[in-house]
Amino acid sequence: MTFLQLDNIKKTFGELSVIKGVNISASKGEFVVFVGPSGCGKSTLLRMIAGLEDVTSGTLSIDGKDVTYEEPAKREVSMVFQSYALYPHMSVFENMAFGLRMAKLSEDEIKRRVAEAARILQIEPLLERKPRALSGGQRQRVAIGRSIVRNPKIFLFDEPLSNLDAELRSQMRVEIAKLHRNLGATMVYVTHDQVEAMTLADRIVVLRAGLVEQIGSPTELYDRPANTFVAGFIGSPKMNFLTAKVTGADASSLQLSHPAFAGESLSLAHGSASKAKVGDKLLVGLRPEHLDVAAPAPLLRLTVDFAENLGGSTQIYARTGEEAVTILTNGRPDLTPGDQMAAGIDPRHIYLFTPDGLAL
Amino acid sequence: MRLSSGNILHALGLTAVILFTLFPFYWMVSASFKTQADILASPPVWLFTPTLDHYREIFADSKVIGAVGNSLIIATATTALAVLLGAPAAFALARYDFRGKSDLWFWFISNRMTSPIVLALPVYILALQLKMLDTHLVLILIYLTFNLPIVVWICTDQFKSIPPDLEQAARLDGADQFTIFRKIYLPLGAPGIAVSAIFSFIFSWNELLYALVLTRRDVQTAPVVATSFMSGYELPWGKIMATGTVIVLPVTIFALIVSRHMVRGLTMGATK
Ligand SMILES: Nc1ncnc2c1ncn2[C@@H]1O[C@H](COP(=O)(O)OP(=O)(O)O)[C@@H](O)[C@H]1O
Ligand SMILES: [Mg+2]
Repeated sequence: MTFLQLDNIKKTFGELSVIKGVNISASKGEFVVFVGPSGCGKSTLLRMIAGLEDVTSGTLSIDGKDVTYEEPAKREVSMVFQSYALYPHMSVFENMAFGLRMAKLSEDEIKRRVAEAARILQIEPLLERKPRALSGGQRQRVAIGRSIVRNPKIFLFDEPLSNLDAELRSQMRVEIAKLHRNLGATMVYVTHDQVEAMTLADRIVVLRAGLVEQIGSPTELYDRPANTFVAGFIGSPKMNFLTAKVTGADASSLQLSHPAFAGESLSLAHGSASKAKVGDKLLVGLRPEHLDVAAPAPLLRLTVDFAENLGGSTQIYARTGEEAVTILTNGRPDLTPGDQMAAGIDPRHIYLFTPDGLAL
Repeated sequence: MRLSSGNILHALGLTAVILFTLFPFYWMVSASFKTQADILASPPVWLFTPTLDHYREIFADSKVIGAVGNSLIIATATTALAVLLGAPAAFALARYDFRGKSDLWFWFISNRMTSPIVLALPVYILALQLKMLDTHLVLILIYLTFNLPIVVWICTDQFKSIPPDLEQAARLDGADQFTIFRKIYLPLGAPGIAVSAIFSFIFSWNELLYALVLTRRDVQTAPVVATSFMSGYELPWGKIMATGTVIVLPVTIFALIVSRHMVRGLTMGATK
């Protein structure tokens, strides 16, 4: 059942159109992640769900109720801000109790709920402290605690981990995932970090310039990106794209040619092969982690630009003509700039896109 | 620290500034403890036997006591009203958009563009017509018109520096505008409010021109009384200086008390 529904939501700031008609629905208990480059409108969308930003047009409903014009507090959502937004003059306890006091809960009930949240987040010893006496990770926990105590229908997170260092970030990521599992709550999470999106989400919404590019599970987006934008955004390092020419096409297979291909041609079985015509150009998408430097029958002949030793793995920056190809491989192949090298790939891992970027 | 020529120049400059600002105070306070003969001695006497005669004299003078009382009433009432009216206005200016906001803002500053003496006569006539001459209220009202813009100005600036996320978090927590103002903006804006209150108090306490024009016998303020000694053929310097010291003292103490709030970085730790 649909718990959160966004119906053709639009938002303009004066003349500037920021959200250009977005449809999203989420069911109860789902973890939805909005991902996209900076400035694409993720925060604006989230803030509209919270009620902090007016909706220009469209309808928004939560738990079957139209809340498009509802007051923020009455929507029963809570939000963890990127800046944490803790009240600096109040103790951790008072920070968490603030919303409960506004709701006029009894002092006993307030104490019980704050203690419960503090236990879940392991911040019991910090309750008397002021926010300025807390580390970044502790502030983050308090901010999450403040949203837990109110038992909201939906948790909203706006890039909650972006202010933490790398180690703490992955630690908190795991904790948020645990929290979601334990509370079974509906969560909407905004990030520009595709790793956070992949690891946390039940469903990812990829946004670009105020429009939804694709919605799907992390695996769906990784395996079947709808276009080159999603393909490039999901997965790290980014997918490589080579422009190849169609030299033959029938119902179930394609012949492609590119100067870097071994024998300058590639024969590929593809379900939508009939959509391509001889002479068309196609974008061949190759994920760096799928390229294999030790393949017995390599597909690509490349020139090494340089190689980065990442310890357990190596990231190779190579080139064919004007086109760059990144390869992620295990071990430490012995490569020097200017070397010729070969790389192969399992044909099932080859993605094809039309020149305007749509998946074939 | 190494003693470079730059450091020495810096120290000399600072010393000059300190001497320049503190010497008049030293002169006033020391003269209030000197006999008239010592005060008028040339070259000045630096070592003298202090006397409390001038203080005995002014504290025996009910005029001085009454004047200090009047000044206290007027400065306190003005400051309280200015903060009470100014802080909410500043909150609105800092956080809400409404029609005519920039005009209002300009009007607040333009208030400070006129020299006070230009308005002295019209205000006098107005007070005369309204039969408000020589009342506390007339000075409170006129000082309010001078102080309100300063309070609004400083508080708006202070409120603008409070991260808007806090207000939005509070809105999600179910707080209404008044609660947000009271529970978030007032405590976090305390340093700015304190500064504006000090300005307001000091201005009202020291103001001479309007106090001179608008009061007669009943509501003379301390500065008016101090200057009133400068009449006739004799200048009782000791008495004037002692009155001056009594006037300056409360303001100094007040400023010292509230300055603690000014330096406290209250917004620290609000956001990353
Ligand atoms: N209050 C506002 N007034 C005008 N423009 C805004 C406002 N808030 C956001 N924007 C613009 O809307 C766009 C999307 O912003 P935002 O939702 O914060 O992006 P994201 O969170 O994806 O980085 C940006 O171009 C930003 O400049
Ligand atoms: Mg954002």
